[in-house]
Parts: sequence; structure tokens; C-alpha cells
Amino acid sequence: MEEDKFFLGVDVGSVSTNMVLLRPDNTLKEALYLRTQGRPMQTIQEGIKLLRSRIPNSSEIIGVGATGSARQLAATLLGADVVKNEITAHAVAASRVNPKVQTILEIGGQDSKIIILRDGVVSDFAMNTVCAAGTGSFLDQQAARLGIPIEEFGPLALQSKTPVQIAGRCSVFAESDMIHKQQLGHSLPDILAGLCQAMVRNYLNNVGKNKDIQGPIFFQGGVAANPGIRKAFEEELGQSIVVPEHYGVMGALGAAFLAQERLAKRPESLTGFRGLKLSETQFQAKSFECSGCANRCEIVEIIQEGISLARWGDRCGKWSLAVGTSNDNSLAGQQRGQRGA
Amino acid sequence: MKIGFPRALFYFDFFPFWAGFFHHLNIEVVTSPPTNRQIMDLGLKNASDETCLPLKLLSGHIQALKAVDWVFLPRMVSVEAETYTCPKFLGIPESLLSSVPTGIPVLSVTLNWRKGQRLVLKDLQTMGETLGKSKIEIKQAFYEGQKWQEKFQKTRGAEWNFAPTNLEWPPEPERLKIALVGHSYLIQESYANLNLLKKLREKARVELVQHVDQIEIETNLLELRKKLFWSHSKQIYGAGNKFLADPEIDGIIYLTCFGCGTDSIVQELLSRKARQRHKPYMVITLDEHSGEAGLITRLEAFLDMIERRRVHEGYVSTHGERLDCNSNTL
Repeated sequence: MEEDKFFLGVDVGSVSTNMVLLRPDNTLKEALYLRTQGRPMQTIQEGIKLLRSRIPNSSEIIGVGATGSARQLAATLLGADVVKNEITAHAVAASRVNPKVQTILEIGGQDSKIIILRDGVVSDFAMNTVCAAGTGSFLDQQAARLGIPIEEFGPLALQSKTPVQIAGRCSVFAESDMIHKQQLGHSLPDILAGLCQAMVRNYLNNVGKNKDIQGPIFFQGGVAANPGIRKAFEEELGQSIVVPEHYGVMGALGAAFLAQERLAKRPESLTGFRGLKLSETQFQAKSFECSGCANRCEIVEIIQEGISLARWGDRCGKWSLAVGTSNDNSLAGQQRGQRGA
Repeated sequence: MKIGFPRALFYFDFFPFWAGFFHHLNIEVVTSPPTNRQIMDLGLKNASDETCLPLKLLSGHIQALKAVDWVFLPRMVSVEAETYTCPKFLGIPESLLSSVPTGIPVLSVTLNWRKGQRLVLKDLQTMGETLGKSKIEIKQAFYEGQKWQEKFQKTRGAEWNFAPTNLEWPPEPERLKIALVGHSYLIQESYANLNLLKKLREKARVELVQHVDQIEIETNLLELRKKLFWSHSKQIYGAGNKFLADPEIDGIIYLTCFGCGTDSIVQELLSRKARQRHKPYMVITLDEHSGEAGLITRLEAFLDMIERRRVHEGYVSTHGERLDCNSNTL
């Protein structure tokens, strides 16, 4: 049955883990937005469990795409067919939703990016550099400090008539400036609106520097849920901003589209997906410091019921090469691996 | 007698000269090991927090020098006529004296080619007195050092294996060709740059600043209204400008580090030209990161962008011209 076939797209970011099930006719069956909370493996398993409960038993996953900063981990757990960076995934999703889109503003939990597209192809992009000011976690933190739920941040900011000026260069400065403004007696909505403006200014100065921002403009990522930021963008850019329907899961959607693209290119290929029963098995992550040389690399090992699935973190590759065998005997694993190759 | 030579900063450009120089004087030169986590940690702890990553690494390498009679820290003011090195080079050795292990004396000399060879030689001879070497010996050692340096520059470093992972990949025409520009002490510093060069070579053919002929570099500097007076920046801009015009180069990656003053100018000059020429261009800023995720994401996205663009541009449009030909984006 065609209706029971899905592409799975997974985007494991620092703050949220998103999953989508895409039908072969490009419509969305399910979208999940979960908080990663520093436990990506459990969150992925939890997500799979949730998805499984929402689809018929006869369902089949015919392709899996993984993206996000933990894409390697996600790909290992799921057996993904495509592993792509977030930039490509976001761009693919946006241009499928609207092939005419020319600019994507994406603000996530720990990073923010701008992607410039022309004729549906990425022509330029930028990500925030060493500083995480002006990302979702900063807003989260400030909302928590002010004692308001993050969901109310944007609507409150929209009530402001005279936003206050807040130093936006650095989140530490922004915070102290904000406290000073509070002490002077400015209202909460004015301060929140000022914060939105400062964040947008910071974003456009750092990430959007020298970029030719042309419409249609998409605003996606978790922060797009905040109408205060959206309004600040519209004022600053003097153009309307479109927040796509599935703004929060665009990365996952892009990953699903990429899995679909791969299958279209090679229709005979089978998915490496490890099955929906994944949520029932035990995954374990172990980390240790390698003492082989002075680099002291921190190695992470993913183990499924005693079998080592993957290792990474080493600079020389001696641990990553010895994968796919029982974890208690790495030397034997290495030899077996060589014979296999 | 053993002289300790830290494997950082000027090591990547001028080690051959000093190796030849001391070799002729029968002085053993000991280098610190390639950067590892311990060296980096030592440097980050000890060096001034306001300086740049390469100087912090130098501090770590100085501390890693063991069982030597001297720590050699030349003040390389200028390495060719009419130029200076980066101002932070000029503060060596004083800015790093606190990193020198107690009990080991510092051997230094001011090298200033702006004053001409005669005075460079004189300064070296003054240092020679400390080492108990005659003026004649120093003069011969100087010529020997120059010979080694010339050979190094002629072979473009091919005979000097700086990084343990100096792999050469066979050229394949289908593979993308990427130019990686930036200071030698960042590009060749495989620990601090998270093995960028090797990672890039796995995915594309790579051109470096040192692959460009000196004559070509000079030609590519002519259009500047004012001369660049930092020698490294001259090389980077000249080579970068050549790569920008080269149709075989699919994209340019500029590797810089947080707080680099000279790069802040050269990087901007190159990025403006890249935009005019619609050449894919990306800046990667290094600092004390040890997590690779950010670097890999940027690298993959950049290569993906070029590849997808290449496929896209392969179409012959019925419209006759690209709709965005007047846009100033890349």
C-alpha cells in the first residue's frame, strides 16, 4: 500500500530533536518537536516510539535522512541513508515548500544561520561564529530570568508601544543593559520588544553581514515561533517575512526530502533503517580518554546490547576503524574488520 | 650544545633557514613535538588572554621544550625589504618570557631585512658572540641557512613534512578544486585547525598559498592602491587574488583565527572581490575549539553548495541569461 510508505527525516539539534514522516507524495504525515535536553539517544528512541504509536502496523519506512549537530549519532542509531548538514537540509526543505524563496533566516537553539538561494540553489550562506549571542537559548535564558514562559515572550513583546534600546553586541552586555532598564522602571513588553530588536540587529550585523537579502524571505527554526522577533525582522528589513507552516521541523523535513531524492536517483537501493522496534532495544554511550598519545582524545562509543555500533572523537582513527564488533575486544575487532574489507 | 626551537609560528615559514644556520655552526636544534592537547592546554593557560591562538600555541611549545641549553626566540621584525611581519611577531621574545621554563636562557636576535643584509649579518654576529662563534663562522652559517631556505621555497615545502598527515591525493578532474588561504601557521597546524587540510583533501583537490609562484603573487598585488606592508598578508592577498581569477578554482576558504589584526583587513578585501566575481567564499575562524562539529558542518555545507550549484549551472536556460546576474551575492 502506498499510504503506508514513509520517509523519515530526523534533525537532532542542541535544544530540540525533530522528526517527520513524509509520504511519497510530499505531504507530511507526522511531525514531532521534542526537547533534546542533553540526552539525544533517549530522545531519538522516544521519538521513534511516539511515531510508531501514530502509524498503522503495516507501515514501512523506505528511506531515512539525518541532520543536525548530532546527525552522526542519529545516523548510527537509525541506520540513516543520507546524512547531511543543516544548511543543505534547511535549504532543500524551504525550496520544496516554495521554489521561489531567496532568503532563509534560521535561528535555532545554539546557532543561527542565513542561507541565500537563487533559483532554488544555495548561492551563499553564513553561520554565527564564535559567539552564540542572539540564538534561541539566549531568549530561553532571559525569559526564565524574567519569569515568563517562552511561549508568552513574543505576544508580550508585540504589546510594546515604545521599545527600549538594548545593547545587542553581546548577550552578556545585553543582559546587564536589560537589568538597568528594568531598574529604571520600563515596562516588561517594552524591554522584551527592545530585546527582540537587539537580537535582530545583532543577527543581521553578524550573520547577515554583506548578504543580499531579497524576498521571498522564510523565517524558520524554533525561534520563528516568536512573533516579536518576526516583527522586528520585518521592521528592520522593510519586507514581509514568511514563517512556513512547519517552521520548527524544516531541518527534519529537508532530511526526509534528501532521503527521497536519494531513492529517486537509485530506486533499487534499500534503506539501511534499523526498524521501528528500535525504541525497545538498549543503547548505551560510553566515553573514555584514549591514552595512546599526548592528545588524550575523548572517545565516545555507542553500544547496542553489547555490540559496538560506532566510535568517534579520535584524531588518528584507530578507534573509529575498529567498529562493528563486540566491544570488549577491540584488537580482535580490528582484525576482523580488516578481513571484512 | 642544544638549541630548542618551538614548533609554532615562524617555524612554518623560516625553520629551514635557522636549521641550516645552526647546522653549519654544529649546534643541535631540537624542536618541540607537533601540537597536542597538552601543549595547547599549556599555551592557553600561560599566554596572555588577549593574544591570538598562534601565539598561545607558541607559548605551549616553548613550555614543551625539555633538556635544551637555550630556547631560541628570534625577533623577526622583517623578512624582506619594505615589509614588516605581524606586530605580534615584533613583541617576541618579551611577550612570551613568562612561558620559558625556569633555568633555561633565551637566545634571541633581531632580524630586520628592512635595514639590508649587511646589518642583518651584523646582528647575527652579535648573537654569535654569545654562542662563542666567530664572525666568519656566522657569515658562512648565514649563507648556508639561506641556501636551505631557498631550497624550501623553490620546492614549495614539498621536501619539508610539517604535518604528519601531509598526504597528496591524486588529481582527478571531477573533484572540486578548493583554495585554502591563510597564515601558514594555521593551515599547517593540523592539531589546532582540527585537521582541516586533511579533511578538505579527502573531499576535494586543494590549492594553498605556497603553491603560487612568487612572480604571480607580485603581479596580483599590483592593483592595490596602497602596498600591504605585512609580508604574510602580501602572500595571502596575492595568492587569494590569483585564485579568485582562476576559473579552475571552485571556491575559496579563508582560514583565520579570532583576533587576527592583519586578516581583518585582507579577509575583507578578498571577500569583496569574491562577491564581485560570484566566487564561492567562506571564512572559517579558529579559536580554542576542540569540537569538530561546527567545522565539519561549515565545510560540508560549503562543498554541497558548490556541487549543487555546479549541477544547476549545467542547465542551459531557455531564458538566455541567469535571472540573478545583476545580484551582488556570490
